[in-house]
Amino acid sequence: MVPMSVDERLPEPANPLGLDGLEFVEYATSQPQAFGTLLEQMGFAALARHRSREVLLYRQGTMNVIVNSHEAGSASPVISAMALRVRDAAFAHRHCLELGAWDMPTRASAMELHIPGIHGAGDSLIYFVDRYTDFSIYDVDFVPLASAPRQPPALAGLHWFGVVQTILNERTADWLDFYRTLFGFTALPEGKSFGILPKGTLLESPCRRFYLQLVEPPPGADEVHWEEGLLRVGLGAPDVPQATAALQKRGIVFIDRGALHPTDKGALSQVYLGGVTFELVVSRP
Amino acid sequence: MDTITLAGPLEAKLTAIRAAGFTQAMLNAGDIVGHPGGERAAVAAVRASGLRVTGFQVLRDFEGLSGHLHAYKVDVAKAMLELCRALGSPVLLACSSVSAHATGDPDSSIRDLRKLAMLALPLGIRIAYEALSWGRYVSRLDQAWQIVQQADRSNLGLCIDSYHALANPADPGALEDILAPKVFLVQLSDFMWQETRSPEDRIDTARHYRVFPGEGVHSERIAELVRGLDQLGYRGDYSFEVFNDDYRQLPLAMVAGRARRSASWISGVVSRRSLPARRRPASPSALPPKPGAA
Repeated sequence: MVPMSVDERLPEPANPLGLDGLEFVEYATSQPQAFGTLLEQMGFAALARHRSREVLLYRQGTMNVIVNSHEAGSASPVISAMALRVRDAAFAHRHCLELGAWDMPTRASAMELHIPGIHGAGDSLIYFVDRYTDFSIYDVDFVPLASAPRQPPALAGLHWFGVVQTILNERTADWLDFYRTLFGFTALPEGKSFGILPKGTLLESPCRRFYLQLVEPPPGADEVHWEEGLLRVGLGAPDVPQATAALQKRGIVFIDRGALHPTDKGALSQVYLGGVTFELVVSRP
Repeated sequence: MDTITLAGPLEAKLTAIRAAGFTQAMLNAGDIVGHPGGERAAVAAVRASGLRVTGFQVLRDFEGLSGHLHAYKVDVAKAMLELCRALGSPVLLACSSVSAHATGDPDSSIRDLRKLAMLALPLGIRIAYEALSWGRYVSRLDQAWQIVQQADRSNLGLCIDSYHALANPADPGALEDILAPKVFLVQLSDFMWQETRSPEDRIDTARHYRVFPGEGVHSERIAELVRGLDQLGYRGDYSFEVFNDDYRQLPLAMVAGRARRSASWISGVVSRRSLPARRRPASPSALPPKPGAA
């Protein structure tokens, strides 16, 4: 008899929606060109344009970024949505509404895919996507740009690591309830952290493919403007110094001041366009 | 104070509450949507009043329904939560159901209250669940507490209303098992007679004849409740939930003044109890003078 490994004996965390990673992260900005240039410096390539709205698709490796300038209110790019890969988007949507999530208004025009979604933190949305294997949502709603690569490779093995969410004081338990109840996220034990910004509470997706980091305002931050929303993305890199060097060569500046500086564990970019930062975290896809 | 106690337009109520020295107000939905300028004008008036909003009331008969009745109540709850957010109210009060169409199955109540808590969550609102003493299935504090515990949601807690514990002979109003952080709101009121004999009597008294704490005949039990909450570690808000037909035909400043005296009476109850020498079983002599008696 072959003894079971430790991993096999551990129960899989419940994954009610068949979550399978992040399909895309959407930014809203009224400065799509400036932000597009920044994304290209980060290693993304522009791939396609939405059929009916001022929306562009960027990609590198397995990461898709949507830049939405349709009725965008803010010049500074803000993360307006994250799309979760799920087994069945309609089921995921229904399941979340039954548990008390708020539905989002449909935005699809004629002949476009309706991507179901719910309201998340602040003004952000959470979409559900189940077409990511044999054909993709982008095949329907987007027109490829001339001479754009189909599959731009990832720079230095970059991949989605997670999303950082700011929350108000004493709201960690609430948001933990939200992500646990709707999707099956679990909180990592206190003290377990990744990267160079070990703040707040880390939640692991039930597919174990990405993390959410909930960050309450730091103590004594009464003067700081702090609201709930999706703050920044974390990009996983197998070799952070190599990724940092590659990005620095492309003009990305990393914060190197006092306690905050690039290490083997991670790095944080400077603030771009009035509010955008990228965090690198050591991780293998 | 609660705007429900006072007559007149919202602005006048808020001004009277503020002038009596209160820093916050509990808002009754009727005062907001009944504003002649519409709810936007009401929200603006609340924001301009300088008063902090204690909470917003009241969502009725939410739990235990099914099918189209449940869907209808979800719509009602969402609209109330949106009003809550616009008003800057951190709490929505939800009363235990009296509906003949609701099931008393606890699992169903738990499922529905979890859903309500989830609806409130992204908006940063907490749900305070209250046992109405004439509730169809949940009419005692311990029953509400059991459901809140079993639902186990961070933003779902209890509203403790002294009236219901006093008026319901079956409700011991025991606090021992309750965790202070799960008490989201305490509403205090008294009434003028010793007993309410039937649910109908309780409803009638609750809706027309409540008075401020210290004005009725159950001062000792209210003092006990407040001291019990204090010892439990409760440091949240108290609100006067006083429905009184007389008060709604008296000058606002006079009614708010009575509320102010009641607040001083409550403060005396707690501060005196906090002194080590006073930590003994409560007796009438441990009570501060009643409002108006000094």
